[in-house]
Amino acid sequence: MTLRGLVGAGRPAACAGRFELGADGWRMMVEALPRSTARLCGLWSDGMQVHALFHDGPGPFMASVAVPEGRYLALSPARPGAEAHERMLHDLWGIEAMGAVGTAPWLDQGQWGVTWPLRERAPPAPPPPEGVEFIDGAAMERAGGTMLGHGPAEGGFHAPLHLRLGLPGEGITQVRPRMGYAHRGLCARMRGNTLAGGARLAARIDAGATVAHQLAFARAVTAASGVDTSCPLAIFPAELERVATHLDSVAQMAELQADGRLANLAATLLEHVRQLGHAVYGHRLLFDVVPRRDAAAPAPEMMAALHEGCATLRRLFWRPRGLATQLLGRGVLSAGAARQWGIGGCVGRASGIEADLRAQDPAYAPGWLTPPPRSEGDMTARLSTRLHELGESVRILGNAGVMPEPPVPAQCVDGEGLGMAEGPAGPVWHWLRVEDGRIAAWWCGDPSLAQIQALPAILHGAVYEDVEPILTSLGLSAAGADL
Amino acid sequence: MAYLHLFWPEGGALPRMQALDIFHMDTGGCTGCGLELRAVSRALDAGNAAIRFVSTPRQAGLLLLTGSLSVEMAPVVELAWQAMPGSRLLAVVGDCAVDGGVFTPSYAVLGGVGGRAQASLSLPGCPPAPAMILEALIRWRTGQDKQPPAA
Ligand code: SF4
Repeated sequence: MTLRGLVGAGRPAACAGRFELGADGWRMMVEALPRSTARLCGLWSDGMQVHALFHDGPGPFMASVAVPEGRYLALSPARPGAEAHERMLHDLWGIEAMGAVGTAPWLDQGQWGVTWPLRERAPPAPPPPEGVEFIDGAAMERAGGTMLGHGPAEGGFHAPLHLRLGLPGEGITQVRPRMGYAHRGLCARMRGNTLAGGARLAARIDAGATVAHQLAFARAVTAASGVDTSCPLAIFPAELERVATHLDSVAQMAELQADGRLANLAATLLEHVRQLGHAVYGHRLLFDVVPRRDAAAPAPEMMAALHEGCATLRRLFWRPRGLATQLLGRGVLSAGAARQWGIGGCVGRASGIEADLRAQDPAYAPGWLTPPPRSEGDMTARLSTRLHELGESVRILGNAGVMPEPPVPAQCVDGEGLGMAEGPAGPVWHWLRVEDGRIAAWWCGDPSLAQIQALPAILHGAVYEDVEPILTSLGLSAAGADL
Repeated sequence: MAYLHLFWPEGGALPRMQALDIFHMDTGGCTGCGLELRAVSRALDAGNAAIRFVSTPRQAGLLLLTGSLSVEMAPVVELAWQAMPGSRLLAVVGDCAVDGGVFTPSYAVLGGVGGRAQASLSLPGCPPAPAMILEALIRWRTGQDKQPPAA
């Protein structure tokens, strides 16, 4: 039986697409994982149950299992991408994954002052974890190599994370991420919050993908209230955000590689897009734009300038001895690794993975989305995918209306819903349960977490100087991964 | 050399801007303030300004913080502050850094440095626009030259 069939045999739950499995059903599902191609998109808990979110051709589906003793069968032996989720589940709830690949804390480095902060009733205070102990392997010690750190404070402008890198020779062979620096306890902040408060918070999860988070949150709320979400939705802000984030990545990359012309043009266009955001929605970074009625039309000459600028960017990128040639073959994410870690989004597409939530969105006309020019998974492929999507999004902006989605119904009926949106870096998921008009449980999935887990594979063999460009080309954000 | 009279001092003295090296740290926000600071940094670079962002606190005279100060980042901020040479200053940019913004109260954040330490420059906004940040930096830099910097 397929994974979807196995999960679908469970008891349908309050949320469309979610099925409750018994311990045996969950075990059968875990055993079927190695044979399935469905992507694992998330694993989380509401205290009573553990939920797993999968995505395959027809769409998302969820499996739940009750955890009365605080234990469930781990998914990580079959799906390596589950490891970070399982470790986070333990940090936040004290729920244990049996047979998990890794058990060290992921977020909790022993500084919070509480253990298992999301538990309703605190347990008889177990001591906080000591934080990650870095153990350098025997190979590293024999080689007498160097250990170098990257982050959490580099003087840059991205969210903090730490990478411990082992270089026995010239190339990196060992990568250990240490997360939690950007963890703000959003799940606890969401719980008990009003829907309006929740939407404000969702807009501030990660500024690079704020519209995607706002959309996914609004869609989850609409789904929870049982309203049909299949009506064509306005896509202007989402595409505007994609344009801005891709432009920022291109500009950063060009700055790092000292390509002044490309950097200048990309930064100038980015500033235009920010001003466009301000002119249309009243906010440069497009915060709080989703349930909103007033939006001005963008000036046509601005759109034309953007269109022309994107064509020039592509030309500069591909010019002889340009950035495309310099980045060739560096920082490769193979299709196999991308599949293994469940990486979708524009990074996955640059490795030849077909994954785009927009393809199922009726608001996107057939033919609007086309495959990227390269699928080798190196930095050139990632940048050229961004440039390709940039042109595509600018074209879509020319065709799409400005109005955002219909506003969230004011008096929301209680319920449970899942919402999704394709952000600039990949799929963004929000799941929530509404009780008495307030958020009772919430979870958010961000594409950065899968990318961070895949870093050892991507950085393997790279020189230290390439770490920053590779992170930039991935566009990963610790703010989205840590919540 | 008659043309030197071009610069004969007539009228009031104009404030002079001193060079300033800034070390920025995101202490756990949404990176929105960081995005706008990146725009500021690009503008400063393009204008060859005397104010610039540096990549290590050992070189910096001003520690500029954004974000709501997560519990994990607090020791890192302390280390960066201790690493700064000579007289050093603190600036907080954005609602998060000023008072914690939307992320407080929470077990994981301390709620911004603005409420815990005396900052020389405090700029609210979610996020403040780059033009505002730039203006505040320049106005503060030209205005504060008269007072000796706090240690
Ligand atoms: S003040 Fe606003 S924009 Fe700045 S980090 Fe905080 S939430 Fe983000």
